[in-house]
Parts: sequence; C-alpha cells; structure tokens
Amino acid sequence: MNTQSNAIQDRSDALRVVVVGLASCFGCQLQITNAEAHLMDVLGQIDLKYWQLASSDPMPESFDVAVIEGAVTTEESERTVLELRKKASVLIAIGACATTAGIPGMAAEDFIERPVSVYEDVPDACGEMISPRSVGSVVPVDFEVRCCPIDSYDFIDVLQRALYGSNKTISTATLCGSCKRNETGCFYQQGVMCLGLVTRAGCGARCVNLGRPCNGCAGLSPDANLPAAREACKTAGVAVERFDKALEMFNQTDPALRDA
Amino acid sequence: MLYRVIEASEVPALVSAFMEAYEVVAPVRKGKVYAFDVITSPDQIELNYDRTITSPKKYFLPPKETLMTFDSRENQVTDFTAEITPRVIFGAHACDINALNRLDVVFKDGRYPDPYYQARRAATLIVGISCMPTETCFCHLWSSDEARFGYDLFLQDIGGKYLVSISSVEAANILESACNPREATDEERVEFRHATRKRQAAFNPDIPKIQEVAMLMDAFHEDSFWDEFGSKCLSCTACSSVCPTCFCFDIRDTLEPDGKTGRRERVWDACTAPQFAEVAGGHNFRSDAATRVRHRMYHKLNGFLATHDRMLCVGCGRCVKACKANINPIEVLKFFERKGAADAQ
Repeated sequence: MNTQSNAIQDRSDALRVVVVGLASCFGCQLQITNAEAHLMDVLGQIDLKYWQLASSDPMPESFDVAVIEGAVTTEESERTVLELRKKASVLIAIGACATTAGIPGMAAEDFIERPVSVYEDVPDACGEMISPRSVGSVVPVDFEVRCCPIDSYDFIDVLQRALYGSNKTISTATLCGSCKRNETGCFYQQGVMCLGLVTRAGCGARCVNLGRPCNGCAGLSPDANLPAAREACKTAGVAVERFDKALEMFNQTDPALRDA
Repeated sequence: MLYRVIEASEVPALVSAFMEAYEVVAPVRKGKVYAFDVITSPDQIELNYDRTITSPKKYFLPPKETLMTFDSRENQVTDFTAEITPRVIFGAHACDINALNRLDVVFKDGRYPDPYYQARRAATLIVGISCMPTETCFCHLWSSDEARFGYDLFLQDIGGKYLVSISSVEAANILESACNPREATDEERVEFRHATRKRQAAFNPDIPKIQEVAMLMDAFHEDSFWDEFGSKCLSCTACSSVCPTCFCFDIRDTLEPDGKTGRRERVWDACTAPQFAEVAGGHNFRSDAATRVRHRMYHKLNGFLATHDRMLCVGCGRCVKACKANINPIEVLKFFERKGAADAQ
C-alpha cells in the first residue's frame, strides 16, 4: 500500500487499523467512503487490516487502531468491544451510536419488556440482548467522531490526531455560539425548539445552516446546563417536557439526562 | 475635521463609486436578521438596520484564518501570503467603530502588532452611519455613542441629508467624485444638534446609569451575585461570538487529508468556553461557568480599562440579545443598582 515517495506514506511502521461495525445503520462507515477524493490519501497513511464493508478478510489477531461504529446492544458486541480495547493501543468511536448509544439507545428505557413486546418469539439472530449502551460506557475511548452521521473530514482529522498527535483543543462548548458565528437567526426567537442549547458544538451548526433546528446528534455536552436551558425554553414559550423528550433521541442513556 | 453635507439620494452613487475600487460590505437582510456582507448593488444596503448579529470585527479578525502553511514531511514552513482584500465597510455604527479602535489598541498599536490585522486594517475604509438606540443599547454609558476617530467618513443623518464628517483623503476624493458635497448651512448645523439630542434622549431609561463601574467590580468581586449569575451560563460562547471587542483566539494546526502538508489556523476562542483556561497537564484554572462568566465581565468592565483607559465593552447590546441565559453587562449594572439602594444588604 505504501509505495509513494513521501515521508508519511513511506512509513514502514504505518499503524494497522481495523474498522468494526456494531448496532448501527452503517451510515458512518459509508461516510468514510464518501471522502472519495481523499480516500487513497487516507488509506496511504495507514495499514488497513480489516473492514467488513470493504473486504471479507477476517480480523487479524493484532492491530494498533480500532475504529468502532455502532452501539453495544448484545453480550457478543460487548465482548467484541472488550477484545478490541485489549488489542488496540488506540480506540476511536465514530458516530452517535458509538459515542452516545444514539438511536439504538432509545430502546434503553424499559429495555427488558421491549423485545417481547415486539416479537412473539425473540429470534436467535437478535443475540443475547443487553440494554443498549455507548462504546465509551463499556471501555475507555481515546478519540471520538461525533454526530449522526459523522462528517467525512472530521473522521480524517480525528484519525490523523490518532496517527500523529494534534495541538487542537477538544471543546465541550455548546452549539449556540456556532449559529452566532454563522449569523443565522435563533429558532428560540421564533418560539421554535432547538437542542443546540445543550448539544456539543463541532458540527458548525450544519442543520441550522440548512434551516432546521439542532436535534442533538452530537450528544449532550458534559458542560450542558439543563436547568438554564429549560428556563430559556420557558422564556421562549417552548414546553420543557417537549425539550426533555426530544433530548432522549440521542441521549437516552446519558446519566445527566436521567438524573436531572 | 472637515464637514460637508450630501443629500440622502446621493448615497447610492457614493456606494457605487466605492464599489469601483473596493469590495463593499454593508448591513444587509439575512432572513429575519441583519448581517454585514458583501454587496453587489447599493440597493441591498439596509442603512436603517438596528444591529447586525456579529460586528465588522470579522473583516479584521476572521473567525478562522490561515496564518501559515507547512510541509509535515520536511517539518518546514512553506511560503504563504495572506490574501488581503481592499474593502470598504459601509454603514458601521459608532459602537462598532469604537470597538475597532479598541481592537487597534491590541492588534495594531500594541507592543506586539499583529501583521494580519494590520494589513487588513490598512486596506479597509470605514464609512460610519448614525443610528438611534434600541432597547438593549447602552453605548452612551461608555461614551461609545459617538465615533471620534477610526473612520474615513461618518454620515450623520439630519433628515433626508447627511452631515458627513471626513477624515481621510482617500475617502474624501471618492466623496468628491461621486457626490456634490457642500458646506453646511446654519440650519443644517442646528439639525445636527437636534439629531444628537434626539439620540441622547432615546436610550432605554431602565438601564441603570452607574458611576465608577470598574471600581465597583473590584469592590464586589467576592459577592455571591457572581455565583448565581454565572451558574446560568450555557457555555455556548454566543456572547463572545457576537461581541465586537472580544479578541481571544486559539491557534491550531490542521493537516490536509493526505497528511503531507497542513496549515496553522487562528480561530476565535471564548473565555466562556469550558476549555479556555485549561493548561498543559490538564489543569483548568476556571473550571466552572460561574468563574468564567465573572472573568469575562471583569475583562470587559474592569481589566481592560485599567490598562488601556477605556472599557472593553462598547454597549452595542448584541450579547443582551444573543445570551439565552440573560447574562450581560446590563444585569451587572442592575446588580450595582441594587447594591446602591437604601435598603441594600
């Protein structure tokens, strides 16, 4: 793979990378391939050892970097994550499902009753189901690429951070500042609910730029101020119950939401 | 200073004349709000705008700019020249001109001048326009309701006409070529006087007029007010994103996708961002929102004044609108007003 003449691509010690998909729509893995114009450049910087989406070669015994998409929803996937953590020196969680439990996480509430309420006989293919959880709640995660789906360039940026290190601060500021920088108006001024008040910035307020309120796919910021956000909702005439309910879509398993 | 009068109907010709030699940015409608943006026709300008979401600061200190590029294989800086566009900012309010003058103190005239800022400032003409205060304006409290310098032309509305204050030859020549500037009549001088008085009388009377704010900030530094006030912060950085005088930045290196080359970028930072005061080793010496908010207010209403003899707040009122938690200097003034009440605790 490393035949071009430049220092980085000549690295004989290119890190061995595996990409693994858990409970998800695979959209984030597709987002990696969507960086088409730069895909060869990116692949040139790593030694890609395993990626089910691209090849049926089995996962090797040893590797350096594990990229995980999807939420942990079965005992099997929990074992996979523990195994990946043991073998990889760097673990990268990509997408809302892996970082916040995302859409699969919506089933966390009343999890025990859910499968039997959907299926008369729960199929074996479901595996030994456990309450959905993020990768980070099972093992320590070194890097995250947030949002649903991920941004292709964010992924490359984080991968490079893992490969070479980086001096960029990882911010936990919430989204509203991005809308001000973009000079878009605020939905709350029109009495429309938007989850940017408590959601991590980083996406550049992409949905708001397209005229839609933030639905919180980057997840609650650890610095989210839920009481103050609820006050802001009241001031704008947005029902607090709706706000709390909407937050569950991507934050169902976040203790901050449950305890608040 | 030279003063001349032009008719309001001559403004489009003035803008068009600027457009021949410069990129002209001006307040335009952006959905339900106003923003400074590049115009392609004088018709797009909304000179009666109340306020833009962000200030013209973005044309001198862009939210994101490349400072240099580098080759990561050679570990070398590569040739890079920042592109500077000759520009006219048409229609800046006095508060924003005063804000630029404060940025000049830091980036242009300070001990360590910033070449990127300096180059942009030197290539930019400022045309100011008079305005009437909105309910959230308090520029008069910091003497920012009049622009004394820092512009090339300032257009004072005197009813269908403008009294134009001229302070650069470059702008004077364009004014001369595009309009028929004439001497002000005695009546027009009186009109100007009326316009100023009308503005002064129009400020929101509910915003307390407090004397010795900087000293009060020190006197009440440990008051429990700050905890209560700052604990409402959403940590969103909206305040500093809209502030015309916030100048803190972060510098970071971004690699191109091929990993071979990269660029060193300067991006706006904010003292209300949770990681702002995080240092090597991971210690954050302002780890909670309350201390961050207090720090911000101190820099605006106390610290900058001590060094540079003027408030870092110009009273534009943008943060009053932008903050969903109602954290802004007006609330600080109200706190001092409560402390001054006869039954204050």
